Parts: sequence; C-alpha cells; structure tokens
Amino acid sequence: MGQGDHGYTFPHRGLIAASALNRVDLELIFDSARAHLSRNRTEDKKHPSLKGLTVINLFFEASTRTLASFEIAAKRLGADVVNFSAGNASLKKGESLADTANTLAAMQPDLLVVRHHSPGAAEFFQRTTGISTINAGDGANEHPTQALLDLFTLTEHLGDIGGRRIAIIGDILHSRVARSNVALLSLMNADIRLCGPASLLPADADRWGASVFHSVEAAIEGCDAVMVLRVQRERMQSGLIPSAREYAALYGVDHTRLSLANEGCIVMHPGPMNRGIEITSALADDEAVSVILDQVEAGVAVRMAVLELLAERGQQETVL
Amino acid sequence: MSGALFISGARLMDPATGRETAGDLRAAGGVIEEIGPGLTAQDGDTVIEAQGAVLCPALIDIGARASEPGAAGIENLDTTIRAAAAAGVGTLILSSSSGTGLTRPEDLEWISYRGLQSPVRLLGAACTHTPQSEMAEIGLMLRAGAMLVSDGGEIVSDTRFLRNLLSYASAFDAWVGLTAEEIHLSAGTVAHESAMAVRLGLTTRPGISQRLGVERLAALAELTGARILFERLTTADGLDALKTARKRGLELAASAPLTHLVFNEVDIGGLDPAYRLDPPLRGEADRLALLGAINDGLIDIIVSDHTPVALEAKANPFSDAAPGSASLEALIPALCMLDADGQLPLMAGLKALTSNPADLLCLPQGRLYEGAPADLVLFDPAAPNVYGKDGLESPAPSAFAGRRLQGRVLMSVVDGAIVYARPGYAE
Repeated sequence: MGQGDHGYTFPHRGLIAASALNRVDLELIFDSARAHLSRNRTEDKKHPSLKGLTVINLFFEASTRTLASFEIAAKRLGADVVNFSAGNASLKKGESLADTANTLAAMQPDLLVVRHHSPGAAEFFQRTTGISTINAGDGANEHPTQALLDLFTLTEHLGDIGGRRIAIIGDILHSRVARSNVALLSLMNADIRLCGPASLLPADADRWGASVFHSVEAAIEGCDAVMVLRVQRERMQSGLIPSAREYAALYGVDHTRLSLANEGCIVMHPGPMNRGIEITSALADDEAVSVILDQVEAGVAVRMAVLELLAERGQQETVL
Repeated sequence: MSGALFISGARLMDPATGRETAGDLRAAGGVIEEIGPGLTAQDGDTVIEAQGAVLCPALIDIGARASEPGAAGIENLDTTIRAAAAAGVGTLILSSSSGTGLTRPEDLEWISYRGLQSPVRLLGAACTHTPQSEMAEIGLMLRAGAMLVSDGGEIVSDTRFLRNLLSYASAFDAWVGLTAEEIHLSAGTVAHESAMAVRLGLTTRPGISQRLGVERLAALAELTGARILFERLTTADGLDALKTARKRGLELAASAPLTHLVFNEVDIGGLDPAYRLDPPLRGEADRLALLGAINDGLIDIIVSDHTPVALEAKANPFSDAAPGSASLEALIPALCMLDADGQLPLMAGLKALTSNPADLLCLPQGRLYEGAPADLVLFDPAAPNVYGKDGLESPAPSAFAGRRLQGRVLMSVVDGAIVYARPGYAE
C-alpha cells in the first residue's frame, strides 16, 4: 500500500523506535492510516490484508487502551490475534525473557507487539526471535505508535507542523510518550517545549532539541498544540513531587492557561487522564480544543498501517 | 499615625555600606524620607533625641521558633512577637519547625493572617517535608508567602529524596535551608565531642559530622542547581568544608546561631540544662572560627534560633532536658558585648542581621537610605545589661539568663511606627 506512489519500500523489519523513522516512512504510514481511518468509520471495517497471519500481543505491563487498540487493528486486518498480558500466569513463571521469546517464536507467529517495563525489551524480542516486533512501550524509552498517532492527529488538525510550537507538559522524566514524540516532532522541525516540575524533567532535557520550562504559563504561551501527560500517583509517593493539589495548581492545564496559547491551539492527552490534576475536566471535554478522542481513533488506524507495512515487508522477505 | 518621626543626634550605622556617621533621620509614610547630618524637624513630628545612641536598620531574624501553630505552651505567638519588637527585630521569619510545623499552605496563610495584627513584619519558612516524610507543598507554600524552604532542624537522611526535593525547589529559585550534619553521627547526641564532654559521660558528636553534612549538601547543590542555606553552622570543621564548597561557584549561604557566638562547651560544665542546645555548644576554637567567619563574610547570617521551651521540659538533667533557648532579646546585647570585648565588630554583627538576610531573601528592609522602609532600631551600645534583670518579654528559659551582656534597645520602629520603646523612653 502506498509504496508505488513513493517509489520507496518501507525498510524497517519492526517498529522499535520512533527515532529510527524518516519523513518518507511517516508519509507511507500516514497515507495508509488515512485510508484506514475513513474505512473504520463505515459499516464494513474489514480489510483482510493480514489474513492468515498471527499477531501476538505480549503485554508485560498492564494496559487496556493500547492493548485494545492493537487487538482491534490486527483483527480488522483479518489477522489471528493472541493476547498475553500482565495478569496472565504464563508470563510469571520465572523463566528468562529469552525462553519466553523462543517459546512464542516456536509457535510461528508473524508479528509481535511487545510492552515491557525495561528499555530495550522490544528490540530484545526482535533480535532473539527474528520476528517483526512492534514496540508498544519499553519502560521510559519509546512508545513509537503513540508518537505516530499523536503526529497523525496533529497533522490532521494543523497541517504541516514544521515551525509550529508544541508543548509537552508533565512527567517528562518517566515518559516514553515524550521521548518518542520529541523524536518525531524534531524530525518534522516543530518548535518543541518541555515543561514540568524540575524533579520530573531530565537534567539534560535542554539537549533533546527542545526548550525547557518550569512555568506552565511560559511554556503554553504561543503554542499551537499542548500535549498533557499523565502524572502518576507513585511520583508523589516516591517523593518526586508533593501532592496532586500542588501539581494541579502549578502545572495543571485549564482554559485560563490555554488562553495564553495561539488561536486554534489543540489539547492532547495520551490517556488515561487524571481529571482535575494534569487537566481540568472542562478542558478535556471541550470539543472546540480537545482532540483526545481523535487520538484514540487515530491510534487504531495508525496501528493498522504499521501492522500492514511490516506484514508486507515480511512477505517480501519470504518471497526473496 | 500621620505624624512623621524625627530622630536627632544618632550614630547612624548602615551595615549595607559599612558607613557610620553622626546625624538625624526623618521617617514619614512608612519610609525613610531624609537621612543625614543637620536635618530639622517639622511641625507635628514626633521628635526623639537619640543622644548618640546607635540607629540602624531593624534586625531581620530568619530563624526564630514560635510555639504556634498548635498548643502555645510557655510563650504564645503574641509574646514572641512582643519579644521580637523589644529586641529590635522588625522582620521576624518564623522557622518552619515553629509549633507543630509550617508544613501546609494553610500554615503560611495563618502567618499572613496573624501578621495583619502584628507590630513587626511576620513571615515564615516552609517546611521541606510533611510529618509523614513526604515532600511538602513547597510551591503552594511559597505562593502563600513563605520566604524560604527549610528542614527546620530535622535532617533529611534519604539522599535520593533530598535530590528530588532540591531539584523541585530549584524551579522556584527558593533558598532551601538545611541542617548540615551526618545523621548517623549526630542522632541521639547531646554534646560536642571533646575531652570534657566525654569525661562528663555525655553522648557526643564530632565536629566532622557537620563537615560531612556540608560536603554532602554541597555535592547535591552542584547536581541540582539548588540554592542551599546551611542553617546553624557551628563548627570549624563545617566552616572549612563551606570554604571549599564556596570555591566551586555554587549558590550557597550559611547562618550561625547567636548562642554559639557567645558560649562554648565550657558553659555546659555545670550540666545546667539552660545550655542544652541543638546543635550543642562547641569548643572555644569553633566559637572563634564562627566569629571570624561572620567578620569575613563566610557566614552570611546570624539567627536568634529563639526556641521557647516549656519550663517543665527544661526541668530535667542536662541530657534529658529539651534543647533550646529564648534568645531574641539577647541579640543586640550580645552583639554589643562581642564588639566591646573586641571579638566581633558591631558593624559585622549587624550586617549579618540586617542587609545580608535582606539581600538573601530580596527584602527591601535592612538598609538605611532615603526611600527605604522605615524599619529601625535605636540602641545604647554601652549600657550595662545583665540579661533578664530588668525584665523580658519572653518568659521562656534562656541560656543568657543572668549573663553579663552589654547594650540596650531603646526603641524599635517598623514601617515608620514605634512598635517598642523602653519604659520611660519616647513617651
């Protein structure tokens, strides 16, 4: 799909890191995602390009929305889907990750989708098994499909985001979403701003190709999009920030703070939201600015596009 | 209250510039309107004949404890405030360990509220951590008026937590006051480690405990970019470490408690619980090093470390007595005595209680110039003074009780208004 138009073959065996993608890769993915997005809105959503292929979703960390998004994406493409998730006993029997990988590989799946708490875990699976792997989040390292769906949503609303000012606000230190987004937004030459409490910002964040802010007002000023990140309760328990109340007062995004942004600024959140902490309910539900549900919808389409491109690539390898 | 205040014939001391001149001062509308020699009073002015007494900016005490919030105990906040006014303190910044602790934004709001009725400027420091040892709402407390953040004398032993805390606080450009001690050496001790204290059978901490504390905190300042105020440094070892750390271009400041400029460990020889202090009284070499450090600016600030301890808490053998001393009203007499004895020039002592804390916390007070807030103290530096003999505002036990000091506060002015006058003076 799409390769003919670009005279370019999607070169990646798997999707491990957003930072490995180039602009043509993004065009391929987004062209395909656009088609899936419109088909997903019709009654017959089936597009069986992965018919006969097996996709294993391997989620070592709890997830509802990302797992559901990948499962729906693969099923709409006609693949056979098996889910292993954190609660699943088979993932807790103390075997090494290499043994788990090899055991699953012996069942001859065609694609793996892996979420794990350790940076490098998805790459580890791909290297160990030789099977195309999509990173659905490896610790605080990368979450490439989230960044893709975010960029897709941004582009759908703002057009070319080159030069556009985009603030990412929250727990940057622990966020794979922020890291993957910075990679793609840099590639698109966006003007990136990172903002959060100093204890939740990496010490060298200013070297990520982004400007760093501790004041949320200053960060939002003149923005075309604001990405709000989830702040986890465990950050308070582990003494990184004081309280939900203080976080909401100092870093929470609401209509007043958003009024400092450019006209037409959109608000994004990767979910799940802590309403009243990092974002007010009124803002999250304001259809004029919030594109949070658009992100969720785009997620399925973008994941369908990625699965399809990797599957095509896999089939070509088989032919060769 | 519309009348201006005219003080004539004073010895004007401005620690910010080090200038000392004979002259007059006229304060109106809450600010110093005119200052210099040969001024004339206007009709309706309240005229004070200073007769050569020292007139300088009112003191700024950034480290006094009150018994409130919570149970008032021996000295309620109004009494502490009266003691501050009588001591020539115009700006009183309550320690974060006051009462049950200034740990919530509500506590700072309470201080603002109490400040409305207070003759002296009443402010507070925010505690770094909650009673549950979680990070306190530093941002909200600073927003509610906290002047700095402080551990209140309670050492934060978890270095990772301290790193996060300093990192978090650095975004607000706030000074973080911390206790520099190695907790495993200092916990449970009641005296400075010396031949004498060991012979007395007291549990002791060595001077290097403070050195280790300073080095640890300086390393964290370097890592996080935080501004650290070493609170209540008292040892030559700690000062050595501070001198080294200062060379690294970090934003560091240090304070010393008044008691440790006057007393040393010999004073605990009789095991009088009045001298049970935290940190404990140190050796004479430490005391002399502290005075030297104030004189040469290594230590920026003197604090009263005023701690009202209940009489019953002091009514115990030395080791079991609660630490602390009422010290506000000893500030000026102790500085005058140290000056008269040739131990610390008065100007250097005053600088550490006026312009230095003002500079550190960006306060407009603490200086003598036209347009500056009219916060002033007038005192007779030569008057003999046996502490407590003529009565005190603070009823709390004091290490200074019965000690021969020198000098007497005659009048305190805050915002152009006389908030304290010695009985019979300025009436």
